[in-house]
Amino acid sequence: MNPEWIEFGRGFCYGGAGLAFGLAGAGSAWGIAIASHSAAGVMREKPELFGRMLVMIALPGTQGFYGFISAILMMTQTGLIGGNVLKITLGTGLALFFVGLGEGLALLVSAIKQGEASAAGISLLARRPEAAGRAILFPAFVETYAVVSLLATILFIIFLTQPVALQFLGS
Amino acid sequence: MRLMDRVIPRIGNYPDWGFICGRISVLEGKLLSRDFFQALVAMTHYDDILQHLQDSFLREYLVPGSPWEDFTALADRSFYDLAVSLRRESPSPAPANLFLCQGDYLNLKNALSGLKDFPFLSGEISLEIIQAIADGKFADLPPVFREAVGAAGPEASKVDPDVSDMVVDGAYLRHLLLIAGEIDSPLIRACIHDRVLIKAVSVLWRALRQGCPLKPYRQYFLPLGEYSSVVDEMIDIGNPDGWPMVIGADVGDILGEVLQWPYNEQVSRFALLGVNHCIRLAADGRMQTAGPERVFAFLTGLHAETQNLKLAVSGRLNGIEPALLKERLREVYG
Repeated sequence: MNPEWIEFGRGFCYGGAGLAFGLAGAGSAWGIAIASHSAAGVMREKPELFGRMLVMIALPGTQGFYGFISAILMMTQTGLIGGNVLKITLGTGLALFFVGLGEGLALLVSAIKQGEASAAGISLLARRPEAAGRAILFPAFVETYAVVSLLATILFIIFLTQPVALQFLGS
Repeated sequence: MRLMDRVIPRIGNYPDWGFICGRISVLEGKLLSRDFFQALVAMTHYDDILQHLQDSFLREYLVPGSPWEDFTALADRSFYDLAVSLRRESPSPAPANLFLCQGDYLNLKNALSGLKDFPFLSGEISLEIIQAIADGKFADLPPVFREAVGAAGPEASKVDPDVSDMVVDGAYLRHLLLIAGEIDSPLIRACIHDRVLIKAVSVLWRALRQGCPLKPYRQYFLPLGEYSSVVDEMIDIGNPDGWPMVIGADVGDILGEVLQWPYNEQVSRFALLGVNHCIRLAADGRMQTAGPERVFAFLTGLHAETQNLKLAVSGRLNGIEPALLKERLREVYG
């Protein structure tokens, strides 16, 4: 295998890892900010609702952690962490890059939309505090797709770094 | 215009309007229901009324020993304070100014009439400026007011009170149209346009009932944006029976319906149905996720509530029949 291609492969792989946690982190920050604006307005009138709103404010933050988990998994599976460095082919590197990019985009969008759903839930909670249980369902449904994205990414990373896959995608 | 065209969800407004809309979500929950007013107008004892009002926005203003005669001023102050507070925390002052500028024009009317008393709560013009205007110094008038008052402004102080009333009424409506034009919201524009048209019809109708000629309104009351030609035609017709055809749409329908009522009740009934129509239009703003519509819709509801409280409490204190008061109650938002 051409050593230059291995370098390219590694580069793409770590680029994918960067995109996964970078996009997810940005989306989480954005989503939390959206929910926080609404929550701060509600607290202006009813500070006692802070406890009930806290979960909805924090929910968009999970995507950042999912991106982080995926990036760490990419680094451990390819040996950047742990020392057993794999010879990543260009094909595997590109595949991992797009896995990271795909997950990053899914987490970015889901975090922002979850922030909006949280803000809507906070509005409902502000008007009817007894509906807190139902209000939390709106952002929770959005979370489903972030979790699906994380699971798919984990499976892709594990299978793409198996010797069979490396051989199959080798150049 | 269809509801969905007016209330397109504006998710992108969250960063700017999220805070104020969160606050409004709480405040909306405190607006009073129709049942509250039905119970209020049926009460006969002051203590019961006072107890009942503890559920309203007025609670903080109702201090023991405050005279009932001040109730109207107290209710107005309560509305004003909350509207000013919302304006301060909004990214744009325009939605709140649509409600607050009315006091400025009432003070302006006094100033142009040569009075030195300005009892109305000022929205955008300080009392010092109003005082200066009363002294004939128009240079201090804020630009938006100068634009609304128009060319007739400086001369208005030198003419008789009837003319200055026409000028100020026209300027107030133009000001509403100017502010609504600044706000990127089809819902608010639709509400304000109908409110302006209803107010214009009321002004002309009242003038007609008082036996005043309508022709001077063409000179001192107009222009009114897209409604200039409508008002112009109404002045030409000079008989309210012919106005519904000229006005058309919802306001024309309301006027047509009101003309079937007894002669003495027509004008007041038109004002009430017109206000109710505007409240129903504005209430659609509740469905907006974030944006100026939420502020506008809430303040419309709060304004209606304040007027209802004033009517119900003053009415009961003056011994007016509950049935009559119920009839006069405005649409409620809560």
